[in-house]
Amino acid sequence: MRVLLVEDDETLAAGIARALRAENFAVDIAGNGEDGGHLGSTERYDAAVLDLGLPLRDGLSVLRDWRAGGRDLPVLILTARDGWSEKVAGFKAGADDYLVKPFRVEEVIMRLRALVRRAAGHAGALVACGPLVFDAQLGTFELDGLPVKLTALEWRVLSTLMLRREVVVERADLIERVYEGDADVDSNSVEVIIGRLRRKIGATLIETVRGRGYRLTASV
Amino acid sequence: MPRSLFGRLLAVATLATLAALLLASVAIGHVLERFVMRGFDDRLDAQTMVLARAVDLRGQLDRSRAIDLPGFDESASGWVWQVRSPDGHLWRNGAEAPPAPVASPPPPASISPDPDRARPHPGEGRDRSGERQHFRTLTLMRAGGPVTITASGPRRVVEAPLREAMLPLLGALALLGTALAAATLVQLRIGLRPLRTLQAALGEVIAGRQRHVPTDLPVELAPLAGELNTLIDQNAAGLAHARRHVANLAHGLKTPLAGLGLELAERDPDGRLAAMLADIDRRVSHHLRRARAALPGAPGRVAIPLAPAVDDLVGVLRRVHADRPITVDVAVAGITVGVDAQDLDEMIGNLLDNGWRYAAAAIRVTAAVEAGKVVIAIDDDGPGLDEAQRAEALVPGRRLDEAGPGHGFGLPITQELAELNGGGLLLGVSPTLGGLRATLTLPL
Repeated sequence: MRVLLVEDDETLAAGIARALRAENFAVDIAGNGEDGGHLGSTERYDAAVLDLGLPLRDGLSVLRDWRAGGRDLPVLILTARDGWSEKVAGFKAGADDYLVKPFRVEEVIMRLRALVRRAAGHAGALVACGPLVFDAQLGTFELDGLPVKLTALEWRVLSTLMLRREVVVERADLIERVYEGDADVDSNSVEVIIGRLRRKIGATLIETVRGRGYRLTASV
Repeated sequence: MPRSLFGRLLAVATLATLAALLLASVAIGHVLERFVMRGFDDRLDAQTMVLARAVDLRGQLDRSRAIDLPGFDESASGWVWQVRSPDGHLWRNGAEAPPAPVASPPPPASISPDPDRARPHPGEGRDRSGERQHFRTLTLMRAGGPVTITASGPRRVVEAPLREAMLPLLGALALLGTALAAATLVQLRIGLRPLRTLQAALGEVIAGRQRHVPTDLPVELAPLAGELNTLIDQNAAGLAHARRHVANLAHGLKTPLAGLGLELAERDPDGRLAAMLADIDRRVSHHLRRARAALPGAPGRVAIPLAPAVDDLVGVLRRVHADRPITVDVAVAGITVGVDAQDLDEMIGNLLDNGWRYAAAAIRVTAAVEAGKVVIAIDDDGPGLDEAQRAEALVPGRRLDEAGPGHGFGLPITQELAELNGGGLLLGVSPTLGGLRATLTLPL
């Protein structure tokens, strides 16, 4: 899961990014409205955390541009403006959720997970694929009722496939959702991660669709 | 001076009209009197001329030539003439002597021997019965000395026609005065009507039913209306500016607070510092909300329809509480509220949020107009509050930063905002859903 964090306060941005990465999220940080708007329009993210009071461009106008350009990624607004009128304006601009500063970072994580899960079309917290169960709210995997230990990269790949189970996920799409914007991506790295995942959850669940990508399926 | 403009204009117009009418009646009366008096004098002068021609060179009257003109030929008619010769001899047309002059006539400037060139002098007096008489005196110079010829007639012969002419004249003037007064009243009503219109329009602005006063007024008032609108706009801009400032202040205070919270979360195992941070945040939030509230009576308040505001807020709350599916039944169509839009959002938002937190499955929003106020009821089917809890939740005058967290964090600020806007908040038991009913009363 890759998240765009648009926040101009460096301390706050670093703190949120640290907490998100500890929960296996890949995080790109933009320090102003221009950069944030550009990244959100060109890169692929599972969700965005958007501050409203930003230098160069206001958060609401960034959000409106994304929506006008057909960008439907879930957006969590993070703001000091706690009036209901401002919340109404935020949702009208296309926000999916709203958090008022100061907040507990656990709240940001819970809300982001819920946004990503609902955006993938799952109403409940538990997503199952054969013997594999993903608690999208807690971020944990269980195989036949036993917890599965995963590295951050493995978790990102498996959660991406899990939320789109029975659907082919393009290789390029997978790479974009797994690596942070400034990471060096080895051309074989996704294959390596898939290999490690197959050793942990069994070889049959992840299907390689030649020339396209991967599919998580319980039907084989 | 009367304090009312209407009174001042009316007083000035009345005084001016009265003065004009008085002047007109005096002037016309004077002209009429002179007109009538001339006829009277001509009659007296004719008699003096006849007598003057009957006076010989020695100053003696030739009685056979002294003809009595009409009036003088009747005894006790009040028409009297008298000739006094230089030697003191008196001739009269009857037994009666001419009246003694009330005021002695000024002495003739020149006494001429020629009756045609001599000018008679007027005089006023009373006869023995006390009747007012008017007389003319002609003095001729003769060998023995001056001859004084006096002809006198009763003043009533001029006063009767004068009265006859003056009565209808005064009546006409009174009628004219009445018509002028009526015209003045109408003129004042029409002339001052734009002022009343402006006043009513300003009332509409204050009540929040209009944003500006109309400027299609007479040229004398249009600039005033323009200035008023500028003032209204300046006030609204001031409010918007203050709110922007508060928003910046909120950002400036809350972002570091959020950063501090994150730092603390990593090195504050027992949560003591986090509790202090939460307390700081509560105080800051309270004062920011309070600062953002519109002042009561601030211009720029326009009656806002309740339904769209509630719908927007329900939409927001559905997303904020996306995992708590609640049925919301809204019946507020066609109702408008005379408070600031942001304040309304705050109040309804807090109450709906509160309902959403405690409701089991349903919230009901209803509104009605009662006794000139809008009464909005927000019911839920949650556990509700007992009487003691309700009293605890809404202590009048208690501020949010003094209230601990617990039931309805937003209730005290909602109460404060409602009271600031001239309304109020009551808590009770929902008769329809069984949980809490929050009743918000707001101006229409």
